[in-house]
Amino acid sequence: MTRFACIAMFTMALLVPCLGARGEMRFPPPEFESGYQFPQTTHPPTARSALYEYVDAALLVVTLLLASHLILRRRSRRAIFVLMIAALFYFGFWRDGCICPIGAIQNVTLTAFDSTYAIPLAAAAFFVIPLVFTLFCGRVFCGAACPLGAIQDAVLIHPVRVPRWLESGLRLLAYTYLGAGVLFAAMGSTFLICRYDPFIGFFRMSGNWNILILGVSLLLIGLFVGRPYCRFLCPYGVILRHLSRLSKRRVTITPTECIKCRLCEDACPFGAIREPTEDWPEGEYKIAKKRLALFLMLLPVLIAAGGWGGYSLKERLARMHPRVRTAERVFLEETGQVTGTTNASDAFRTTGQTSEFLYKDATKIRSRFAVGGGLLGAFIGFVAGGKLVALSVRRRRTEYEADPAGCFACGRCYTYCPKEHERLKENRGTLLARGKQ
Amino acid sequence: MPSNKEDMTRRKFLREGLWGTCLAGAGTAAGLSVARNNQDNTVWQIDPYKCIACGNCATYCVLEHSAVKCIQAYAICGYCDLCTGYLVPEPKALDTGAENELCPTGAIKRTYVEDPYYEYTIDEPLCNGCGKCVKGCVAFGNGSLFLQVRHDRCLNCNECAIAAACPSQAYKRVPAGQPYLLKGVGAKE
Amino acid sequence: MGGMGDTNPWYQAAKTTMIVGAVFSAIFTVLLVVNLVGSAIIGPWRENKLAVMKVQVQQEPGNQELLSEIRQLDLKIRRDRTWRWDFAAKAAFMLLGSVVVLAAAGKLAGGIAKVSPRPQPIMERGESQVKEAKQARWGVAGVLAVLAAGMLLLAMSRWVDFVQGGDAGSPHASVEEKHGQWHRFRGFAGAGVSAYTNIPISWNGKTGEGILWKTPVPLKGHNSPVVWQDRVFLSVADPNTRQVVCFDGKSGRLLWKGDVPTAPVASAEKFEIMEDTGYAAPTVATDGRRVYAIFPTGDVAGFDFNGRRLWHKSLGRPDSSYGYASSLETYEKLVLIQYDQGDGKEGKSRFFALDGVSGQVAWETKRELPSSWTTPIVADVAGQPQLITVANPFVVSYNPADGKELWRAECVGGDLAPSPICAGGLVFAIQPYSQMVAIQPTGQGNVTKTHVAWKAEDGIPDICSPVSNGTYVYLLDSEGLVTCYNVADGKKVYERELKEPFRASPSIVGDKLYLLSLKGVMHIAQVGPEYKELGKCELGEECLASPAFVDGRIYIRGAKNLYCIGQTPVGGPSEAK
Repeated sequence: MTRFACIAMFTMALLVPCLGARGEMRFPPPEFESGYQFPQTTHPPTARSALYEYVDAALLVVTLLLASHLILRRRSRRAIFVLMIAALFYFGFWRDGCICPIGAIQNVTLTAFDSTYAIPLAAAAFFVIPLVFTLFCGRVFCGAACPLGAIQDAVLIHPVRVPRWLESGLRLLAYTYLGAGVLFAAMGSTFLICRYDPFIGFFRMSGNWNILILGVSLLLIGLFVGRPYCRFLCPYGVILRHLSRLSKRRVTITPTECIKCRLCEDACPFGAIREPTEDWPEGEYKIAKKRLALFLMLLPVLIAAGGWGGYSLKERLARMHPRVRTAERVFLEETGQVTGTTNASDAFRTTGQTSEFLYKDATKIRSRFAVGGGLLGAFIGFVAGGKLVALSVRRRRTEYEADPAGCFACGRCYTYCPKEHERLKENRGTLLARGKQ
Repeated sequence: MPSNKEDMTRRKFLREGLWGTCLAGAGTAAGLSVARNNQDNTVWQIDPYKCIACGNCATYCVLEHSAVKCIQAYAICGYCDLCTGYLVPEPKALDTGAENELCPTGAIKRTYVEDPYYEYTIDEPLCNGCGKCVKGCVAFGNGSLFLQVRHDRCLNCNECAIAAACPSQAYKRVPAGQPYLLKGVGAKE
Repeated sequence: MGGMGDTNPWYQAAKTTMIVGAVFSAIFTVLLVVNLVGSAIIGPWRENKLAVMKVQVQQEPGNQELLSEIRQLDLKIRRDRTWRWDFAAKAAFMLLGSVVVLAAAGKLAGGIAKVSPRPQPIMERGESQVKEAKQARWGVAGVLAVLAAGMLLLAMSRWVDFVQGGDAGSPHASVEEKHGQWHRFRGFAGAGVSAYTNIPISWNGKTGEGILWKTPVPLKGHNSPVVWQDRVFLSVADPNTRQVVCFDGKSGRLLWKGDVPTAPVASAEKFEIMEDTGYAAPTVATDGRRVYAIFPTGDVAGFDFNGRRLWHKSLGRPDSSYGYASSLETYEKLVLIQYDQGDGKEGKSRFFALDGVSGQVAWETKRELPSSWTTPIVADVAGQPQLITVANPFVVSYNPADGKELWRAECVGGDLAPSPICAGGLVFAIQPYSQMVAIQPTGQGNVTKTHVAWKAEDGIPDICSPVSNGTYVYLLDSEGLVTCYNVADGKKVYERELKEPFRASPSIVGDKLYLLSLKGVMHIAQVGPEYKELGKCELGEECLASPAFVDGRIYIRGAKNLYCIGQTPVGGPSEAK
């Protein structure tokens, strides 16, 4: 091999961009004289068998059935806790926390919008099964089956109350997260919810440093603030809240009737216990009526404003899509506004597509984001407006009850109720007398 | 207690109605999914003809030691003495010295077959999926080295972090029953 | 269950376990962080050192010590890396274990130390509920404001508008712009025609009269100058080097030289080429944003106007008996390369269209034709742009956007060097010493029998390409015989012997014929039904390349120098159309 050729190669290699992995047969396959046999290209290991999907779905059903029984019938916090930890270890650490119902929202969305995507059975099952159980039994999934909820619940050591005004406001973030997750999944840009899943790093025992730090921070907060992700960020929780409001059966603090002894007031670390309502001061009703009317009129304004805002952000939202990012970069390069190329623009040039085609594609994607962005903005406006209306309406409660939407069915409040103790005493005789003060 | 009995039944009716709608909705979602269901689960795989060997596979995988490894397609390999996937651009000598090797982990093994042919194999546990050998092989050789996701290691995340970072969008979902896209002789894109 | 208080032994145990768990968690966290520092900082530092040492050992090939150091360091890096991976995995497990212990103990302690509820007396719950609701509404409003602020922040980020606006923004020059420049061999569509009316008609190379500047050209090459606004491009080469050179059109100053590397050769075969062809025969071409060059070694490269090489590619050594000489053409953003080689039966010939920005193949078409030395042209005829090529025995027309064949006519033969032209709605192709064929470019498929308008047989050249103004078509052969035919019917109009050898192809500027002889004498004649000489201008140097005509200037490449002929320094780009 001559010096010259080596130097030439060195120069080439330093300066030539990779010409794409098409690969040409520059050197013909050799003909061996010594009887050498071509080895097999390495026999590849197979993926996890499809059987496991069915097993996981079945286990989910079993867990939820068990959870419903323990939460609604047995009413034992300890049993619920044990089930929750078991679910944490199986669905979380063993299955690496994937696929979870929260992420499955995006898979289902993608199925609806992309005809070439075929959803795996596990994703569909994990999305639908907890929804159905919630419609019948309340948020039993959150209480005993969800690994993300379980890990937060497990580290909750010294609960601190979050003021009510902050709660309602922060929940708006969860709606935004849901809307954004659905939007980006529908556009085929990215699975936002999976990307920013804070606890997946723990389940996999490895991951991107940013996400690990986010997860650790959330857990540190979770030492004091109960279930921060569940309450303020979980997109699936948003859906479950509304379904749980309609559920046939749900968690009740008292097994029989509420005697308003007030002993359960501070029982819930998640602020999900609602006390009975009382009459408002005199002048309040008139003001409240006017306020309600105002917010009802404000609602369409908020929807329109949100819709317009989301629509005008279409180009920036579209940048979440890799094709649009590539198009922008290629355009800047071709018009000389930037020097050099990126991997993405180099890779695009190996495809043989014209840049005009790329720009057309990107413009098409942007116009889809115009609609999607507008809908997202309108959705956020609707939710905010709806919350304002809901907070202006007078509620009527005569008992202490678990918030139908926000109760995570953890079962902590049961043992605060004297009626519960009566029931336990009846069930287990005098054994319980020892536990009483 | 509601003051108005009519209110109660109206509200109850509304509630029941909504409940039924939601159940139907859940059923529709299930039905839609089953109708367009993939019998097989899908796993991630790299299309070797789109890959530009940028090196992201080694750094973006959620696993510390990436699930992506290099594979050698022997049928395409030229068995060259001066293998541009094995040797650095200006090798001091055409041997297995560390100063001549392109691979940062030393995962390619070079063995003499007969003059002037050498066999190149990949020691998979050592490979970290950086793609330097792939780049060299494709640019100046036959392109027999290529990257593939190994499914004994891959966690099959719903959103593959490497797929999101791939500049040529070379990652696609493939059926779990046929999880590899291998390069073969005559099997051009 | 009431609060058992601190006396409970379980509580003490739980607290102790918590502390133990916390300590272990802290230890493992610290270990993991230290490990991270190692892999993120020490590892790369070592790898950099290794890279530096590897470069060093290239320069000191005899240094055995350095070599063994490199090998040791390499081994150390690999061992370290593997060890760190294992360590991180194990430490993560242990951390998980200690966190579980901590959490479990914490839960137990929390459960034991739970205080029984002591609800305080409350007054006026109604008021407090009203207040709570009010605060909640403000909370919602506040978060909504935060979200709106976020949207505003997002709105402030820039986005790229793909609407192509203005010249600077478009990726390639328009056809109108190309008409006003000399962007390839023999100008737009290879016609050798310029519409400028202010081109000089007299100069003297020996006295310097009328010569704006004269600059020596490095190395050698027979290719013609290409001009875009104020830049003149040439390619030059010798057996070991290939370069594109750029001169300033106003002053003649050398602006930059760009190297074009060649592919590594498996065997150290020397590359030899016929002396008449030379190592830099094909003329460069530009699309108004970048300049492209090809060399007889099969190396192609694209440069931006500032001399930065954007890409280069090797198409493989062409098998061409006289040496590869076809010049480049551009269409929009594509570089068009007629890569004919071999004897036709081996099927080695190709037509390549490369993307000008990246050098990637946009399309390629197989041609079952042998070597040719003609240059393809892109001309707008029969209502569409056509890429017309000439090789033995076909004149083939393609769609330049995708390489699909439009029509072909079997009407030429032999070793083809004169390039085709389009004029008067016809395509002219030349078979050296034999015939000139006029083809109607309106057909599809094989139009040999249907679309050949006429043929001519007198005065057919072997090197120079023809030139036409739409009414008359002129041929110039190597001995100086000028033959003029009617475009409409192919009737010979006149013949004239100039008794000088010619290699450069003839040009028409306005209504004048410019013929540059091998000795460097430009014969200027009136375009018309008879040869009327208007003047002869001597340059004083041998000329093989065809001249370039732009606004008020002529660029002529001599064997050693590049000349710019013009009156006074002409203004800038605003004058060019």
